[in-house]
Amino acid sequence: MSKIELRGVSKAYGATLALRRGDLSIDAGEVHVLIGSNGSGKSTLCKVLAGSVRPDGGEILIDGKPVTITGPRSARDHGIGIFYQELSLAGHRTVAENICLPDLPATAAGFVDRAALETRAARYIALFDTVSGDGFSADTTVENLRADQRQLVEIMKALATEAPVLIFDEPTSALDRAQVDRFFEILRDLKKQGRSIIFISHRMDEIFAIGDRVTVIRDGETVGTEKISDTNPAAVIRMMVGGQDELAAASSAPPAVAASGRPIALALNGLSGKNFANVSFEVAKGEILGFGGLHGQGQSAVLRAIFGVNPVASGEIMLNGTPFQARNPRDAIRRGCAYVSGDRGRDGVISGRPILENVTPIHYLRQKLKLASPSALAERVKPALEALHTKFGGLSHPINSLSGGNQQKIVIARWLIDRPDVLLLDDPTKGIDLSAKADLFSLIRKLAAEGMGIVLYSSEDAELLNNADRILVFNGGQVRRELTGADRTRYNLYQAAYEAA
Amino acid sequence: MTAATISPKPGGLKRLVERYPFLPALLIALVLLALNGFYQPRSVSFIGLTGLVKTYLALMLLAVAQTYVVYAGDIDLSVGAIVSLVNVVIVVMMEKMGGSGFSVVAALCVGLLTGLACGIVNGMVVAALRLQAIVATFATSIFFTGLALYVMPVAGTPAPAAFWRTYGGRFFEIPFVFYAAVVLALVLYLLARTRLSTQLLAVGDDAQAAFQSGLPVTAIRIKGYALCGVFAALAAFCITGDTASGDPLVGGKMTLFSVAAVVLGGSALSGGFGTVVGSIIGALIIGLINSLVFFVGTPSEWQNLVQGLAILVALMAGVLVGRRARA
Amino acid sequence: MTATTQTPSAPTPSPVLTFLKRPLVVALILIAALLLLGEALSPGFASGQQILRLLIVAALLGIVAAGQNLVILGGREGIDLSVGGVISLSAIIAGNVMNGADSAILPAVIVCMAAGALIGLFNGLGVTLLRIPPLVMTLGMLGVLQGLLVVVRNGIPSGLAAPGLSRFVTQPLLLGLPGIIWLWVAIGLLMAFMLTRTVYGHRIYAIGSNEQAAHMAGVPVRRMRVSLFMLSGVFASITGICLIGYSGSSFANVGEQYMLASIIAVVFGGTPLSGGKGGYTGTMAGAVLLVILQGILTTVHIDESGRQMVFGATLLLLMLFYGRGRAMRG
Repeated sequence: MSKIELRGVSKAYGATLALRRGDLSIDAGEVHVLIGSNGSGKSTLCKVLAGSVRPDGGEILIDGKPVTITGPRSARDHGIGIFYQELSLAGHRTVAENICLPDLPATAAGFVDRAALETRAARYIALFDTVSGDGFSADTTVENLRADQRQLVEIMKALATEAPVLIFDEPTSALDRAQVDRFFEILRDLKKQGRSIIFISHRMDEIFAIGDRVTVIRDGETVGTEKISDTNPAAVIRMMVGGQDELAAASSAPPAVAASGRPIALALNGLSGKNFANVSFEVAKGEILGFGGLHGQGQSAVLRAIFGVNPVASGEIMLNGTPFQARNPRDAIRRGCAYVSGDRGRDGVISGRPILENVTPIHYLRQKLKLASPSALAERVKPALEALHTKFGGLSHPINSLSGGNQQKIVIARWLIDRPDVLLLDDPTKGIDLSAKADLFSLIRKLAAEGMGIVLYSSEDAELLNNADRILVFNGGQVRRELTGADRTRYNLYQAAYEAA
Repeated sequence: MTAATISPKPGGLKRLVERYPFLPALLIALVLLALNGFYQPRSVSFIGLTGLVKTYLALMLLAVAQTYVVYAGDIDLSVGAIVSLVNVVIVVMMEKMGGSGFSVVAALCVGLLTGLACGIVNGMVVAALRLQAIVATFATSIFFTGLALYVMPVAGTPAPAAFWRTYGGRFFEIPFVFYAAVVLALVLYLLARTRLSTQLLAVGDDAQAAFQSGLPVTAIRIKGYALCGVFAALAAFCITGDTASGDPLVGGKMTLFSVAAVVLGGSALSGGFGTVVGSIIGALIIGLINSLVFFVGTPSEWQNLVQGLAILVALMAGVLVGRRARA
Repeated sequence: MTATTQTPSAPTPSPVLTFLKRPLVVALILIAALLLLGEALSPGFASGQQILRLLIVAALLGIVAAGQNLVILGGREGIDLSVGGVISLSAIIAGNVMNGADSAILPAVIVCMAAGALIGLFNGLGVTLLRIPPLVMTLGMLGVLQGLLVVVRNGIPSGLAAPGLSRFVTQPLLLGLPGIIWLWVAIGLLMAFMLTRTVYGHRIYAIGSNEQAAHMAGVPVRRMRVSLFMLSGVFASITGICLIGYSGSSFANVGEQYMLASIIAVVFGGTPLSGGKGGYTGTMAGAVLLVILQGILTTVHIDESGRQMVFGATLLLLMLFYGRGRAMRG
């Protein structure tokens, strides 16, 4: 008998059907991987189970008995703990308080039992002792932690529920290799204790490293469940994309653009700032320069500094041969620099506003427009959206009505009306589906072919290897190695990323 | 403790302010106190300070009341109206019951319940019905004011002597208000150690996250408003003790000052960060500014302007210093 | 979760229901209902003359609410509590500059609008450069303005409206409607045009719904925000000028009642305090709604206490019709 079973769970948000028919069956003592492209309904399914989303239909069985989960507390009472992808931490509270927040230990008089709280928190902090990094302690406030450390706190918080069923919704996205390894050791221990674990990740290698079974969700429907030992990555991807064609990006050969002899679009000389130091490189017109390395090694910081988001401490930047020191993004945009953030929710999408208004802001600025005539703008906007094969109902529809991949396409389309000279891409495909990725990279290569200088940081090695002409590997805020030509291999990329400074 | 708890030293000042967010406010208050003493030495005497506490204890309590809802990222623009309502309710009750010691105690109990009820109404409206706090509590404030006018249509009914003589009196040579202050300090110390305080702050940090963590967010916010109502009632007791009469509009002007005091005390209006001690100091700052403006001999028609400017500057300084120290 | 799949098979709410749920429609329906109620309670309430009188009062509120609307649309907890002070100050300045002379109307308007813009400038700079929360900044500014009023009032007489201004506000100008109504209509058209057809308008929504994204897309966020506060000051000063035209001379703190009323008009018009969505057409309806509600309460014969209780309770009830916050459990 399954530990937990979901049958025909469905959920609609207004007119949008997030989950059509979710079926899932988890055994005790297994790590069950849930996979599907973004917007396929994985997170919704997990949130239904965790009680934070109210399902429209379907049933949930625990140990064979039907249960009704009325909210997060009720889920906890039923023995379900969860790691939220978007984290559920209180920024001004300490690490220890956050770990114990769902169930603050109290004395008989109703006061918080500090000693018990600290003892309990210390138990989970100790689990990640060796990998939690500098500045991590029980009494640090969470807002002072790095992204990976916050993710660890959320993991500890989930573990502290000691629930028989644990859900981890993309728990590793900000973690480094050592942290992931430690986390997986802990998961294996939990498995031995007979706990059931639901694990979501986009990284195929992780899925095959830790999973026992995998369930694939597509367009809000459970497609099927396989034993990990009976399947392989290609088969899983086929299940994920269904009838769609094999995706071009995954298999295409690295482009071979000879950059030599072309004029330089962007040059950095000894650039230093917060989180990076002494970075120098040149990007020729028509070249795609890749940034590689582990997450958070200064790649993003360099790109944001060039775009004028963060200050530069020293060093110089040349754009098309002239000194370029953007005071702010506005200044950078005016002078032909473009930047696409992977965190579209924070940096890109103007939520709730029409698609048209989400595509036009750069055009307004570069053309110094005062009036916004919808019909005239539509003329400009449509070709840009078509270049990316964007699917949308109408220009006046709110951007939120689109899937994540299409939202990112809208954000990128901003830069296609008045073309920039240099395009900085900061992990632009984070959390978007495979077909959107393919559209995006074919466009990026086309833009390069038309003469744009492009810098691409990606957290996915395959994207770099398939698209970048050269790859700079970052470690500790500095460029450690440059991979060109035949050196661009997965092995070299890993080796350079992990090599001691 | 594990090895992981050894953390690198962030700036000492930063750590200090993070731990005691009211430090900048305390500094401002001390400077103001010194200036008060400079221009009017008697103001920092025992009698002078007693007068200050006696006059501003109500605002301190109201600032504390406001702090508990601000913890959770809410706001209560009806606190002044609650003060008015409780003020007229207890004065009318005491008068109807003859002004004896028993009637005072009974009236105070009813007053506390009135404050509690008002707080719960606010909590239901904002947290359970999910109306926007600023406009919803403004609407309830109109309603509470209406109730106060119903209880006592015109100001002027005096409070019984037994009540205000106690408030203004002394026991063992120590003014009553100091006993009240000590009890208040103790209550606040205990409240800060309850689960509710931590939960309110967690809700203020990120309500959705708190909900997903399994906290009963709606109930917590309602409790915050209820606590606010109770402290507003206590503030009304002090006002009544100070003015010795009932006035259905007495608290109206205090609402915005209570918000200002909370901000002066270093709490974030967005929630999740702050202390009640800071709010008390914030209320004291307002009192000290008002008295200083008087002591330096500002012409009477200029006093309001100078007070307004000084409070604006103090608000800005508080926000800036707090942020600079934490950054 | 933002990423969701669009599917045609999802149940779509009926278009009629969607229409009825639009804030503007809600406000208009409520207005009609209140007019009927008023007429039932006190015959003659919904007569042309009465409605015109209510519209003049609504215009006074609606004009200051335009500025409030802009500040709130700009997001980041945008709110302007100082409008009440600006109105009072502007009324007294206008009264003194005009002092009953038609020839001085224009200088009065210019001085008042400049004063309003200046106060807005201070608010905006405090909010952007010093990053003081708008509620705190404008609250502090309100305190300063109230103090300033005492000084000004002690120094000079309360002033007198020019007859031309009084005619503009109270007497028919065109098609039987007084000038202030036409002014309000013009402001309404201008606001609608600005918010939907200009880059400035689009940028207001952009900073209101995602300031960081707007910044990254080259929107001058700070300058925008300062300008919104300045516009709020200017609109409040216009209400102040019209107010003295309406009442003939200014009296103590005439503007105070507009502080929260302007915010409620905006909210009743369908612009949530979180900013980034909504518009001015709704706010106009919201202002009318609020004024009619007050009108009904003054015509029925109940005590002040009863009136306040009914007013407060009705406001709460009406708020239930508008965007309530999202439920924690989606």
